[in-house]
Amino acid sequence: MLDVQNLTIEYTTAAGPLRAVEDVSFTLQRGESLGIVGESGCGKTTATRALLRLLPKNGAITAGRILFDGDDLVRKSDAEIRRLRHRHIALISQSAMNALNPVYTVGEQIKEGIRAHTRMSDQEARARCVEVFGLVGLEAKRLDSYPHQLSGGMKQRAVIAMALSLEPEIIVADEPTTALDVVVQGRILQRLRQIRERISSSMIFITHDISVVGESCETIIVMYGGRIMERADTRSFFRAPAHPYSMGLQNAFPSIADIGHADLVSIPGSPPDLLAPQPGCRFRARCPFADADACQTRTPPLLQVADRHWAACWYTDQAAGFRARARDHATWRKAAADGR
Amino acid sequence: MAVFVAKRLATMILMLLLVATMIFLMFRTMPGDPTASMVDPSIPREARQALLERYGLHESLWTQYRIFMADLVRLDFGSSYFYNRPVLEVIGERLPATLILMFAAMLFAYALGVLGGAWMAWNRGTWREAAGITFSLIFRSAPTFWVGLMAVMLFAVTLGWFPAQGMRTTGYTGDTFREVFVSLDFLRHLILPAAVAGLYFLATPLLIMRNSMLEVMSEDYIEMARAKGLREIRILYKHAARNALLPVVTAGALFIGAAIGGQVLIEVVFSWPGLGREIVQAVTRSDYPLAQGIFIIISALVMSMNLAADIVYGLLDPRITYH
Repeated sequence: MLDVQNLTIEYTTAAGPLRAVEDVSFTLQRGESLGIVGESGCGKTTATRALLRLLPKNGAITAGRILFDGDDLVRKSDAEIRRLRHRHIALISQSAMNALNPVYTVGEQIKEGIRAHTRMSDQEARARCVEVFGLVGLEAKRLDSYPHQLSGGMKQRAVIAMALSLEPEIIVADEPTTALDVVVQGRILQRLRQIRERISSSMIFITHDISVVGESCETIIVMYGGRIMERADTRSFFRAPAHPYSMGLQNAFPSIADIGHADLVSIPGSPPDLLAPQPGCRFRARCPFADADACQTRTPPLLQVADRHWAACWYTDQAAGFRARARDHATWRKAAADGR
Repeated sequence: MAVFVAKRLATMILMLLLVATMIFLMFRTMPGDPTASMVDPSIPREARQALLERYGLHESLWTQYRIFMADLVRLDFGSSYFYNRPVLEVIGERLPATLILMFAAMLFAYALGVLGGAWMAWNRGTWREAAGITFSLIFRSAPTFWVGLMAVMLFAVTLGWFPAQGMRTTGYTGDTFREVFVSLDFLRHLILPAAVAGLYFLATPLLIMRNSMLEVMSEDYIEMARAKGLREIRILYKHAARNALLPVVTAGALFIGAAIGGQVLIEVVFSWPGLGREIVQAVTRSDYPLAQGIFIIISALVMSMNLAADIVYGLLDPRITYH
C-alpha cells in the first residue's frame, strides 16, 4: 500500500545543506505495524513527516518516491496532499500535551477534522466523535472539555481519537507516549494495539524506545545518521540483531526480566555530523567492530541476512560473534577510547 | 465574573480618588495662577484679590482640597474659570467628538494591524513582510501633524475627496448628539483624521501581532492542524490568530492613554473640536477645574479600558477564569 523508495531529504541551513534522510526505502502493507527506531536527530521524524509533506519550509525531498496506492505523493499538488492528510494518513503528534489548541474544546477540534474531509453534518460529526471517544475509553462529556481540563493521558487519548476519526489507512504515531508516565504509557500502547486490530489501519510507530516496538510492531527499522541500518521482522530482530548499532540499542534499554541481572550497556559517543557527511559507514566512529578499510571508505548497502531481515553492515557474516562481545561494557568503551 | 467586575469597579473608584488627589496637587504646585489668564495683568491688586476669593483660591490648600474632594464624590467638577460654565458641560460637548475619532482610529489600526500582522507572520522572510514593517514604521516615525497636513493637501485640496477640516460642513449647527454625529456628512469628515491617527497607531498592533503569531506558529497544535488537512487560511486565522491575540489586547488597553495624548496634534491639524485641544488650553490658562476634570475623565477611561481588556482575555482564552 505504501512504498517508499530511495527517499532523500535535505534541509537548507545557514551552515549549508543538511542531509537529514538519505536513501531510505521501506514498504508498509495494509494492516501492518512498522516501528522506526533511532536516537534523536537520526531522521526518523523527518522521514515520516515527508509522508504527509509536513516538512518545515527549509526542508525538501531531493530524491526518491513515496508511492501510496501507486500514486507518488512527492509529485502531488498541495491541495491533493491536503485532502489526503487525516483522511488517509493521520498523524498522532510527538507531544500530545501541545497537540491540541488550548482555546477550543477537544470535541470542536475533532469535529473540525472530520468536517474538513466529509459532508457530515454537525450532529453526525458529533456522533462520530462520541464513537471514537468510546474507542479510546473517554466519556462523551469530555468532548466539551478544553485541553487544560484534561490529564496528560486523557489528552493523548483525545489526540489518538482524533487520528482515528476518519479511519485512515495509515496512522503515523510519532513518540505518542514519551511525555507520559510508564503506567499510562503501557495502557495507551495496549489500547492502540487493540484499536488497530479492530479498524485494520496500518501504523508507523516512531520511537527511541526499542521495547515499545518489541511490544507493538511486526516490522522494525533502525535508523542512524539519516540512513536505515537494519530492517527486519521484529521477532527475527530481537532474536538476532545483525547490525552493531542495533546490538548497542538493545543492550541500552532494560527489559523487566533483566533488572538485577544484566548490566545496561550504553553506546558512547554522539551521532555523526550530517552537515559534513563522510564516506563509509555512518556508524563507524562509534562501532567497536569497524575496520580500517571497507567501513571507512564505502557505505554499506542493506544486505539480506535472513528471511525478511536486512542490515547495512559489511560484516553481517560475523554478527553472531559481535552479539556476544556487544554485551560487554569493555567492548564499547574501547571503541570510544580509540576515537575513530 | 460579576463578582470580579464588581471588585474591579470598587478598586477603580479608589484609584480615581487617588489620581484626583495627585492631579489636584500637581496643578497647585505649577507656576502661575488662574487670575493671570482671566483678566488683564494690570488690574488693581484689590480686584485680583476679590477674584481669588470668589473662586476660593485664597483658602488654605487643605480646605481647597476638602471642598474639591467633597464635590468630586457628588460628581460635581465645578465651573470652568474660562468658560464660566460647569466643567461637565464643557467636557460633555467635547468628549464624544474625541471618543468617536479615537475609537475610529483604534478600530482602523487594530483591524488592519491584527489581520496584517498575521499575514506578515505567514509571509515571514519575504518582501511582503519587509514592506509591511517599513510601511507601519514610516507612519509611526513621521510627525503626525506633517502626515496630517500631507493628507489634507492630497485628499482634501488636490483630489477633493474629503473635507479638509472640522466635524461638520461649515455653517452647520446641531444641538443634540443625534444631529451632530449621526449623519453621512460627519462620517465624511471623520475618515481623514481617523485614517491619519490610525496609521500612526498601526505599528503597535501590527508588530506585536506579527511577533506573537511567529511564536504561536511553531506550536505543535499548528502542525497538528496542518496534519488534519485544514486549509492554510483557516489554520492562520482560526487556530493561530486567536492564540496570538492576547498580547495585542494588552497593548491596546495600555495604548489608549497614549492615544488621547497623541490625538492633540490630529485635533489641531483637522480643527476637530475635541478634548485634546481643550486639555492643552485648559492647562495653559490655569483653568484648574476644567483641567482637573479632563484628567480625571481620561484616567477613568484608561482604567475602564484595562478592565475591558481583562474581560476580553477571559472570552479569548478559556484557561483564564475570574473569581
